[in-house]
Amino acid sequence: MKIAVCVTQVPDSETRINLAAPASELDQSGFTRVLNPYDAFAVEEAVQIKERLGADCEITAITIGGDKVLETIKKDCLAVGCDKAIRVNDDAMIGADSMQVAKVLAAIIKRDGYDLVLAGKQTIDGDSGQVGPMLAEYLDCGHASVVTKLELADGTFTATREIEGGAEIVTGALPAVITCQKGLNEPRLPSLPNIMKAGMKPQETVSCADLGIDVPPAHTTVTTYTPPAPRAACRIVENEDPAAAAKELARLLRDEAKVI
Amino acid sequence: MPNIAVFIEQRDGTVKKVAWQMIAKARTIVEAAGGEVWGVVLGDADVGEAGAHGAHKVFQAKGDALTTYNCEGWSRALATFCEAHSPDLLLVGSTAMGKDLAPRLAARIDAACVSDCVGIEWSDGFTIRRPIFAGKCYADVKVNTALAVVGVRPNAFTLGESGGGSAVTESFDAGLEGFVPKAKVAERQQAGGKKIELTEAEVIVSGGRGLKEAANYKLIEDLAETLGAAAGASRAIVDAGWVPHANQVGQTGKTVSPKLYVAIGISGAIQHLAGMSSSKCIVAINKDPNAPIFKAADYGIVADLFDVVPAFRDAIAALD
Repeated sequence: MKIAVCVTQVPDSETRINLAAPASELDQSGFTRVLNPYDAFAVEEAVQIKERLGADCEITAITIGGDKVLETIKKDCLAVGCDKAIRVNDDAMIGADSMQVAKVLAAIIKRDGYDLVLAGKQTIDGDSGQVGPMLAEYLDCGHASVVTKLELADGTFTATREIEGGAEIVTGALPAVITCQKGLNEPRLPSLPNIMKAGMKPQETVSCADLGIDVPPAHTTVTTYTPPAPRAACRIVENEDPAAAAKELARLLRDEAKVI
Repeated sequence: MPNIAVFIEQRDGTVKKVAWQMIAKARTIVEAAGGEVWGVVLGDADVGEAGAHGAHKVFQAKGDALTTYNCEGWSRALATFCEAHSPDLLLVGSTAMGKDLAPRLAARIDAACVSDCVGIEWSDGFTIRRPIFAGKCYADVKVNTALAVVGVRPNAFTLGESGGGSAVTESFDAGLEGFVPKAKVAERQQAGGKKIELTEAEVIVSGGRGLKEAANYKLIEDLAETLGAAAGASRAIVDAGWVPHANQVGQTGKTVSPKLYVAIGISGAIQHLAGMSSSKCIVAINKDPNAPIFKAADYGIVADLFDVVPAFRDAIAALD
């Protein structure tokens, strides 16, 4: 079985956005970049599938990005069990929208042929959650998004996906695209010896031209970044007696804030 | 003169409230810019109130392929509609179904796709405002295509005054005869009871590590029940295994914007604040006066949550 895991690098969840007023660009200088947390579930799922299937399974991590992404590919993909990596390094993809990303990923997946494509359910910076379902459409295969449980058997998959107050069980044929949600598994950490060895695993770097695709112009363009509206200072309800403070809080929420 | 189509999501005949909110918003846009609002419904559901919310017309497709949600089939059905009527904008709720459906549809018809919209501006083209980094910042997204498929966050727009209008329902052929999807929903499991979904809740009560142990999450659930609220959680207690991940609020959980958010025993890590800071009113109960949560909150009580929360619940229950 050939598994493709689509991964990307994002600013970590502790990142603060320094934006005092609306601006056309974000100041990214203080950002610490890590593997997108949802992609870590995709990597771990691939590795667990390989552990079940044995040697007859190959995992390829696929990413788009400049040299900064290499450390993440090595430490968080190759060192935890991916067999090789393909990176699209192309200036045309800087600031790409979901459509452009999905088209480029689809070109690699079509070129090499995979039985299963795993990805995070969304990035934690753009938060769009579009690439997985778009990729499935471009590949003309089935998909399940926001998946918390995945089983494979005889060229088919059964996925449990999270919906409001419950779950949908999605079944279908492979190849398929699965986007991964927290709860699917517990991603492992790389060991130091494995990080050392990861540098020896094959890595391919390609441009869009190498893939034979002409990336279409973006469908969407971000024109302005705006900080959230500032909040007024917190009103602390003070009272020696916690029960009295609680009572006063309930009154304020009803009479002043009018939210209950 | 933009024509705006609104996908009216239904499961088992029950329509999602976000559909009416989107229709109301679309109506305010076309009132100023001209054009019409079209409801689009797949499957069997009574959508008679669409007109009252602001729709000019409703298009409905029915059939065996539309009784259960299927992304491949339903995206084809909406593509058929878009090709026949060429709307300038198709609004889809940012729900579990909508988030699954919108990107696949957009890819199929080569339309722009924008997720989690909280604001729409029309001026010879659409600009969509949406939160990024779970709400640490907002992005204004310009649409470069003739048609955009836009996911709209529940409760981002309010229902208008009911116009009392009525909309004619016209049926259309979804074009799914003989279509066999490569994947399908085999079964739907719905949790028992009347649990309120976090992303749709008007009031949320969340607990964090200050609860000390898993069993004390009951305090959160009890208060939530009294308030008619959904129960949420910080990442810390989800990772500790006290509550399911579906309850997590924050950058790696759900982003929520209820009318009232009550944070109990939550210190306020930046990734948690990102997920709830767009709530209209935020209440913090924490014994540490220096906890960052108080910087995000509108009201706070600095005290031991075990003293405050049961009394707060009694006080809510005693309100007239």
